Amino acid sequence: MAKPNLESREKILQKLSGLELVNCFQCIKCTSGCTALKLLELKPHEIIKLVNLGFVDELAASDIIWTCVTCLKCLQRCPQRASPYHVIMALRNLAVEREAKVPEGYLKAVSRVLETGLAEGVQDVVSRKMEIFNRENLKLPKIAYPKESFQAAFMKAMEER
Amino acid sequence: MKIAVFWGCRILTSQYAYEMSVRETFPKLDVKLVDLRETNCCGDPVKSMNDFAANYLAARVLALANNTGLEHLLIPCNRCHFVISEAKSVLAKNSKVGNRIVEILKEEGLVYNPNIKIWHTIDFLHDLIGLKSIKKAVSKPLKGLRLATHAGCQIIRYSELGRVDDAENPRKLDELVNELGAECVDYAEKLDCCGANLMHSHVDSALSLAGTKLTSVQSYGVDGLVVSCPDCGLMFDFKQKDAATTAGAKLDFPVVYYTQLLGLALGVEQEKLGLHLNQSPVDKLLSKISA
Repeated sequence: MAKPNLESREKILQKLSGLELVNCFQCIKCTSGCTALKLLELKPHEIIKLVNLGFVDELAASDIIWTCVTCLKCLQRCPQRASPYHVIMALRNLAVEREAKVPEGYLKAVSRVLETGLAEGVQDVVSRKMEIFNRENLKLPKIAYPKESFQAAFMKAMEER
Repeated sequence: MKIAVFWGCRILTSQYAYEMSVRETFPKLDVKLVDLRETNCCGDPVKSMNDFAANYLAARVLALANNTGLEHLLIPCNRCHFVISEAKSVLAKNSKVGNRIVEILKEEGLVYNPNIKIWHTIDFLHDLIGLKSIKKAVSKPLKGLRLATHAGCQIIRYSELGRVDDAENPRKLDELVNELGAECVDYAEKLDCCGANLMHSHVDSALSLAGTKLTSVQSYGVDGLVVSCPDCGLMFDFKQKDAATTAGAKLDFPVVYYTQLLGLALGVEQEKLGLHLNQSPVDKLLSKISA
């Protein structure tokens, strides 16, 4: 059976400076309004409870933390400033530190930021009349990608926790 | 007035209609847009991986804005607006993080400026330009249109951070639409999310969220849905066909950016507003205006 790990719990609490996670009294306002509840069974109040009990290792290794759609309703409505959103983001950060499985989309976005400075690649689009358009033939200015020094600076930032 | 503009990634790489319509309409309201000489990701996808690095990216945007010498920065994307607002708050409250970020920026010769005031399209037009000025500029009122608005999530939550509109009852986008001569309807699903952020990890669920919301809005018999975020535009307009397939719905529903409507009301040609680029059937809506 899983055992609580209070060291890991402390790690999450450190990342959440200022948020009163322990004050959660399970009113379930967060879960009742959660965008990801119906389709992906995310239950923010359970996440808070599990962190409070010290089951952080299990959560950091679980797929459930990647189902949050970041609509921010949970923390808006939380009467106790427990912010499930921030707890979930802290758990994701911890999962990355531990090299747990991270959805491909996030890895791709971050490597694109490192390569080009932007999280998305520039696309050609097709109009309703099936003509191809891009920034150039739409007469939009060229994208001002960051200068070379950005890459090293971003790498440095990625090394910090 | 002059304002610096940070477009973020999605507008610059695929949501061209939003960019075109902002570039066309703002000068007509006496606003000169000044592009940053350099740009980078606001930090949104990085937030899930490394919060520090995300705050660094957001702070870098504010440092680039500082280079323009202007005090105001327009951020037309909801996600970028949120990530940069939150980074501003973290840097103000947590001096350890703040000092380290300032240090890294310094290595590139960049200076973080905490006093840059950030705006989204909606509060900039509603609060700073003002409804009266917009009404005055309208030359072709959009009479007879009944529309639903979708403010999106991250410009209205969470209030403690200081957001663009009320978290539970956003009205500004509706009021802006009203000034163009069109009517807005309230609907039960108004606060439902477009699902865009799940495109990183759960594509089907993301499309299903978009499709479900569109099915409801379409059923109310309105002429279209008005958005003001490139993510919402992507999900409701660009991906409408995929959303319909995934949600098992029949969708044939016009979705436009607010600035496209504004442009029409100011008398700008459709092509200049990127109205040929919308993937949803906006011709239905356009023919109603010209009729």
